[in-house]
Amino acid sequence: MTTTISPGGQVGRSVPRLEARAKVTGRAEYVHNLRLPGMLYGKIFRSRTAHGRIRRLDVAAARAMDGVQSVITAEDVRRVIPDPYYGPAFHDQPILAIDKVRYVGEPVAVVLAADPHIAEAAAHLIVAEYEELPAVFDEREAMTSTAIVHEVLRPAGTFPDLKHLEGRTNTNIALDFHLRQGDVEAAFAAAEHVFEHTFRTQQVLHVPLEPFVSLADATPSSVTIHTASQSPSFVRIEIARLLRWPENRVRVKTLHLGGGFGAKLYIKLEALVVALSLLARRPVKVALSMEEQFYTITKHASTFRIKSAVAKDGRVTARHCEVLWNGGAYADIGPRVTQKSGFTAAGPYDIPAVSIDSYALYTNLPPAGALRGFGIPQLVWAYESHTDLVARALGIDPLTFRRKNLLRNGRPQATGTIMRDAEIEAVLERLAARLDWNRPFDRGAGPVKRGRGIAIGFKASIAPTTSIASVAIHADGSCTLSCGTVDMGQGSDTAMAQIVAEVLNLDAEAVAVIHPDTDVTPYDMATLGSRSTYHMGNAVRLAAEDARDKIAALAASLGLPPGSNLSLAELFRRKYGMQAGTIIGTGSFIPSYSPPDHSTGLTENATPFWMIGATGVELEVDTETGHVQVTRLVNVADAGRAINPRIVETQLSGASIMQLGFTLFERMNFDKGQVTNASLADYKIPGMHDLPLAIESEFVPAEQHGGPFGAKGVGESATFGVSPAIANAIHDAVGVRLMALPLTPEAVYRAIRAAADDPLGEA
Amino acid sequence: MTPFEFVEPASLGEAIALLDPDDVSTRPVGGGTAIMLMMKFGVLVPARLVSLRRVEERFSRIAVEKDGSLRIGALATLRSIERSSEARRVAPVLADALLRLSNVRVRNVATLGGHLAHADPHMDLPPVLASLGAELVVAGPAGERMLPVADLFVGYLETVLKGNELIAEVVVPPQQDRRAAYVKCTTRSADDWPALGIAVSLAVSGPTIRDARIVLGAATDRPVRLAAAEAALAGREPSDALLRAAGDAAAAIELVSDAQGSAAYKRQLLRVYLGRAVRRALAAGPGAGEARQ
Repeated sequence: MTTTISPGGQVGRSVPRLEARAKVTGRAEYVHNLRLPGMLYGKIFRSRTAHGRIRRLDVAAARAMDGVQSVITAEDVRRVIPDPYYGPAFHDQPILAIDKVRYVGEPVAVVLAADPHIAEAAAHLIVAEYEELPAVFDEREAMTSTAIVHEVLRPAGTFPDLKHLEGRTNTNIALDFHLRQGDVEAAFAAAEHVFEHTFRTQQVLHVPLEPFVSLADATPSSVTIHTASQSPSFVRIEIARLLRWPENRVRVKTLHLGGGFGAKLYIKLEALVVALSLLARRPVKVALSMEEQFYTITKHASTFRIKSAVAKDGRVTARHCEVLWNGGAYADIGPRVTQKSGFTAAGPYDIPAVSIDSYALYTNLPPAGALRGFGIPQLVWAYESHTDLVARALGIDPLTFRRKNLLRNGRPQATGTIMRDAEIEAVLERLAARLDWNRPFDRGAGPVKRGRGIAIGFKASIAPTTSIASVAIHADGSCTLSCGTVDMGQGSDTAMAQIVAEVLNLDAEAVAVIHPDTDVTPYDMATLGSRSTYHMGNAVRLAAEDARDKIAALAASLGLPPGSNLSLAELFRRKYGMQAGTIIGTGSFIPSYSPPDHSTGLTENATPFWMIGATGVELEVDTETGHVQVTRLVNVADAGRAINPRIVETQLSGASIMQLGFTLFERMNFDKGQVTNASLADYKIPGMHDLPLAIESEFVPAEQHGGPFGAKGVGESATFGVSPAIANAIHDAVGVRLMALPLTPEAVYRAIRAAADDPLGEA
Repeated sequence: MTPFEFVEPASLGEAIALLDPDDVSTRPVGGGTAIMLMMKFGVLVPARLVSLRRVEERFSRIAVEKDGSLRIGALATLRSIERSSEARRVAPVLADALLRLSNVRVRNVATLGGHLAHADPHMDLPPVLASLGAELVVAGPAGERMLPVADLFVGYLETVLKGNELIAEVVVPPQQDRRAAYVKCTTRSADDWPALGIAVSLAVSGPTIRDARIVLGAATDRPVRLAAAEAALAGREPSDALLRAAGDAAAAIELVSDAQGSAAYKRQLLRVYLGRAVRRALAAGPGAGEARQ
């Protein structure tokens, strides 16, 4: 594909976000503000038991309350959706709990009322009785637990690679992924050194400031769903499947999203509101509270056991990785995290022999899915902490040790896929240069010690996935782009408009972008995994080129010479005799891909592109209290060629700040499966005062062949290195190693005391 | 949240008349920042809220009296205290403490009276005001009475106030040459509830600490005077060793474990932060406000 920049110069320009003015003046539209005539509100009654068989559900008092339209249970749902189980990888999640509940917070019934306060008050009157079942919360215990979350596995029929799991019983392992490259056993037997560590991460939350919200307006023959979703096409297909209707009777519309981060994917409230609207024969809206977000979708807690064989010269010769993903009560996209991220668990290193075992586990906790990084931050946390520990043990500088083992372009990754357009080396070198790594480092004085650390990670794109776009040229020459990419704050509307503008020689600001509406916008797999710039970017480019070709054909049909500078409006006028007509260009994109071999996990073509992110930190540790102050945070990424440099930079800084919260203090606390800090008053996310004193973000000069104008995704890249870089820097500062996130002051202080052989008591 | 009646009486007297100690379903509300959280969680379901927003203007005033004391109306917002030159003149420690109290959106609406009457031990100003020797003007059906801030709190979310008594004003006595400081320690985000807060007010003669008032917040179910630490400091010249000894003396008290940290860890924080708070008070100098961070 050619990557010549046309005279337009729209690509590579830091176009201010198209929606910025509407957002800051409060004019941007969100589903939360949408009200339809005759609309009812649904309030969910949730399980207070982590695992239990439903013995009795008494909704009589709620039903009797003045103003309550109806109370809906799973039995009612089955009248309109006979098999009400959904999910992207497994059809394991019931719209409302059937027979048993599997986590605290699981939806059990819904009260419908025209007044949301009445619905809420009535929901408090519902009484449920459960026969308590043994529950399992820890992913390590789930491997062998006799408490079984799902009696039988129900993989979604659409994925051939999950077929073998169909009907499995007596297990909490939803999916096991294995990769075998080279002779790992022999390499370990021959190794000069062997190192083994276990790292853990905690369950955390996306916390979009707009909680989940969906509104369905159903008739007996069609349904329109207004929803804050990152995956409108998936919603349409899944709702059509549940209803056994053709896709053209299901319409899904989104507006702006107040943040998504992977939370608002697949089915969340959509199936529920469709069932409610069909039953009530009225539009129904369900808008979750901030608290209810904690019961909807989370980020996987994980345990990662990593073992390396290292030769005398410091080369890693073999690595074994065992990763357990705590998926909670429903699989959501967890099995894909297990697999599609699992195969990079050995890190961006050139290791001849690798074995990976990655397990998606069911537990009795709120479900876990995709969160900005799709499992990669959990993996990098472990392998980059491990990398530093190994370097330290061997007395090798951490940068030197990484250089010695780095995976370079032209070399095979663990799957056997040859690395291309992956600027791992350039990113690492740029980070080292920015940190001035060879310069002597001030280690602080008195009780405050200083340290620094680096970490680098990589991620494959989810493959294969499809994007389709269309570009319309109207009779006055103005232009509209229809694409299903959801702008949830990442700036995709602006980037896509820039691509159209580049091809058609317009100003990006002049391109109108239609928000996803499945009756209008063509199919797109979803806005996830930093796939949109590459996949949708290509589709949009092809659509714009198709429109450009059709304009040329129109000009030719009018007898104009090639390169005629007649205005578009004049072309239409000459063709149709007045201001009339439309030119529609379409573009469709799916990259090439080879699925991994089922038993070895090997493939020649694992991904259309690689995302690379490295982070370096300088920090201070207060040895008397364990407080960590990050004084400098440097992110370097390979984003290919940036469509919009300013947005790329803010994606990097934003991702790193989000990961900073997951690193230092965010944690869902549980008591027997009950979240005990389900509010922003008690679950803290970073604010302005928590930012490092300096944040620097940059991307290296790079080009992604096959990407639109050399670009690729970047929304997650700066999440990769943050956690291990901080842990490595703490180790550098005070000589203690933390093996579990978050790195709270108390955890740091306890480690310092333990290292001094004077451990702090528990109480 | 369930619907409720919202009344806005025009005087404090009217507001008091609307309250009834035997009727827990009617509650007074100032800025509403705490009460709305409790209502959203469903732990408080009042039938009627009596808003104090429309009561006499003098209950929002901040003024220095002739005797040099600082008088703050209970309806004064935390932000107005933070920005008040009168408050800064008498007790600069208030503005310093307020800078890191929650966030500016909360401070813009939260009132001093509500902040105190809520009796959440994680609040920052109770220990500060107690260390300054502040008193409350409490208004009830029978008129007004004075109550030291230090005597307001009974336990977690509990005060000595009757259901139909309201905090009308807060009076901070003249601080003469006393030096004060407040340090707080958060263990998650910067705007989190504190793991502990330490308010210190010192009278100093030359190099010697004549008298110390030290009040601990957040780590216990109500603000506590750290008498052992005060005794360790009184009549002594500050040194690293003395401050360590005072910290150790302070840390002998019983602390609570919560999401901000275990009791053992908080004892360590108390040991360390006590000395830091005293140092900060000594550095503050009498009467002069510290530069904003």
